[in-house]
Amino acid sequence: MSAHHIIPLKTLLSTTLALLVLTVATVLVFYINIPAPFDVIVALLLATFKATLVGMFFMGLYYDEKFNTVVLIFSFLFFIVFIGITLLDTMYRDSGIGVW
Amino acid sequence: MAETQSLDKSNLKFYFRSSDQQFSSSKLGMWLFLFTEIMFFGGLFVAYIVFRAWNPELFTLAATQLDTLLGAVNTVVLIGSSLTIALAIRSAQLDNQKMIINYLLMTILLATVFLVIKYFEYTHKFDLGIMPGALYTFEGIEHAKASVFFSIYYMMTGLHGLHVVIGIGLMIWLVVRAKMGDYSSQWYTPVEMTGLYWHLVDIIWIFLFPLMYLID
Repeated sequence: MSAHHIIPLKTLLSTTLALLVLTVATVLVFYINIPAPFDVIVALLLATFKATLVGMFFMGLYYDEKFNTVVLIFSFLFFIVFIGITLLDTMYRDSGIGVW
Repeated sequence: MAETQSLDKSNLKFYFRSSDQQFSSSKLGMWLFLFTEIMFFGGLFVAYIVFRAWNPELFTLAATQLDTLLGAVNTVVLIGSSLTIALAIRSAQLDNQKMIINYLLMTILLATVFLVIKYFEYTHKFDLGIMPGALYTFEGIEHAKASVFFSIYYMMTGLHGLHVVIGIGLMIWLVVRAKMGDYSSQWYTPVEMTGLYWHLVDIIWIFLFPLMYLID
């Protein structure tokens, strides 16, 4: 039953509006020139917030069986592990790989 | 009522208890596929992160060659297409056959706009000699490894663009089937699954946009 939830029109439209506002915010943050590394952090936080909105309301995770959300969160965690283990290697080399 | 009942039954595979169970199983399968998609793009994001950690100054220089306005317009276009496909699913749930087709066509149109903008971005770079890999001949960026940044750029946006093309193909197929009246509130699984796929393509662009275009 929950899988067939009809998402209210108002929810879809306000999600879109929020995404557009956040896109404008992302571009504005770029022009403010926040010192590195905070510029990347702010940009990624905004992007993650936008992705969360898309996931919850456009993809319907908010109304769905929670297991689908678990799958998404795990894919994100595995991705973090992927990044983490790779950086443990590449950040602690004396020099990079030749061509790179 | 009898007709919708038979339509409902005709799509129910014998190994499922009910249409609802079949629908949530399909959805779970789709989410598992999206998991593999995240790891697929994840490999490229890791390449990006490692290379940026090694050459932060190059990313500042190279990003000046990317048009922020076009990137921002494409972000808005994709957000709009996410809305229209969500509305197509909603139309299916409300048994509005005509609007399923209209919203799908609007989504296809927006996806095409995205690709056209991408085409102009790519050809502009090709004209300057900003080509992927060994074909790179541009001399405007004073950095020995400038071509690697653009190899990553072309791989990531190219793979994303390929996903947009596949998405358009899927939506054309949905329009054809919708015209045959295949989708209703009783059964619209392909519309829902294509929607999930399309939103993921949108999410990937949401990350690509600030990471590629907005570096200062």
